Amino acid sequence: MQNKRWFPRAGALRTPLRILYWAPLGIVLTTHWYNVRVISGPSMQPTLNPEWSLSKDYAVFDKVAVLDKQDCHRGDIITLKSPLDPKYKLIKRIVAEEGDTVKTLPPYPLKEVKIPQGYVWVEGDDPFNSDDSNMFGPVPRALIESKLVFLIWPPSRVGKLEEPKLPLSGTGPTFRRAMAAFERAHARQSRVTPAAKIVIPERV
Amino acid sequence: MIAIPFPNPIKTSGLRPGNRRFPRLPHNFPVSFMANPRFLYPLHGLGQMLRARIFKPSKYSLPTRVGIGCLKLVNLVCFAHLFVEYVGTISTMEGPSMLPTLGNEGEIVVVDRLSTRLDPYNIARGELLILLSPLNPKRYICKRVVGLPGDVVCVDPTGQQAPSTEHVRIPKGHIWIMGDNADASRDSRIYGPVPIGLVQGKLRTRLWPPSKFQMFGSNMTYID
Repeated sequence: MQNKRWFPRAGALRTPLRILYWAPLGIVLTTHWYNVRVISGPSMQPTLNPEWSLSKDYAVFDKVAVLDKQDCHRGDIITLKSPLDPKYKLIKRIVAEEGDTVKTLPPYPLKEVKIPQGYVWVEGDDPFNSDDSNMFGPVPRALIESKLVFLIWPPSRVGKLEEPKLPLSGTGPTFRRAMAAFERAHARQSRVTPAAKIVIPERV
Repeated sequence: MIAIPFPNPIKTSGLRPGNRRFPRLPHNFPVSFMANPRFLYPLHGLGQMLRARIFKPSKYSLPTRVGIGCLKLVNLVCFAHLFVEYVGTISTMEGPSMLPTLGNEGEIVVVDRLSTRLDPYNIARGELLILLSPLNPKRYICKRVVGLPGDVVCVDPTGQQAPSTEHVRIPKGHIWIMGDNADASRDSRIYGPVPIGLVQGKLRTRLWPPSKFQMFGSNMTYID
């Protein structure tokens, strides 16, 4: 009995057909789970794409953590669909979550905002170069697409972006950059009053 | 030519010596498809095919073949995921917020995700949309589009959530959505205009129950 194949074993079509057959797996692994993207634009300077860097930053983004577990909180760098134009993606930092109160920056009409349920307040690290929640207000959490896990390029800054700590000793540009990063983080956090957590005391 | 409509003792292929009773036939001797065992005993034929696939001589070892099989299964799941994500899906609906149009439960609808993927601005007033809820990012909601960017809408004509004289202009990139059952719907009257980025697809057809089969489209009439 002759075993007939539904596509030819050898021929010009064989390799493209094979690629097409395995494409779903590749697409899901590279775009729906972890994906590597170039970061463009100055809105996250100097954390990402700092002026002294010679090339653009490349980073690994985690999509599953955001879609599945909503595992993105205050201080995380995230990508989101722009609320003003769904065709564009923004990279910003979550400053406040639902229930928090934020002191806003100039373009926003109100002095203080309480973030409603299901919304977040996002800002770029460079307030002068960033169109963020200070312009369009709090954004729904559902617009968030992925979360930055670590940088893979340029080689000098490969690794996770850690919460800046107060540099205790040192001199020169490294010290000054670390100090500025710490001050920026401190200024950002001091504008936010976190939501009161309801703690139910245990009965003794 | 003779077509033999029963299981043929005469082999048409393979080496066999011919004799007077069962003569040696040419390889292309026409045998009716009804004489094929795959037709006569379909299950037997299926079993044979499966056995042939599993035990056929292969250049890979059994564990490798099992691994490739698992990978193919994962690939199939990925394909299904991509199809649901980018093209469309069939899903059930529940909830009272769209009541005269869509029932409370037990309805099956076709969701089209391709058209809004291709062009996010491809939205018309009066269409039924599937969106991610602004209140809970894990929930999907179904609402009707009332206003597009730049429109001026009355926040709540019924006056329940806001005074019925209050009007707003919808900002760029946002839409105004409302449920058909205003009493049991949390919609733009509560959380204001929502970004178009939340739109996941359009409701096209109701498949079930069959008596209520319906194609959904824009139902707006314009008064000039």
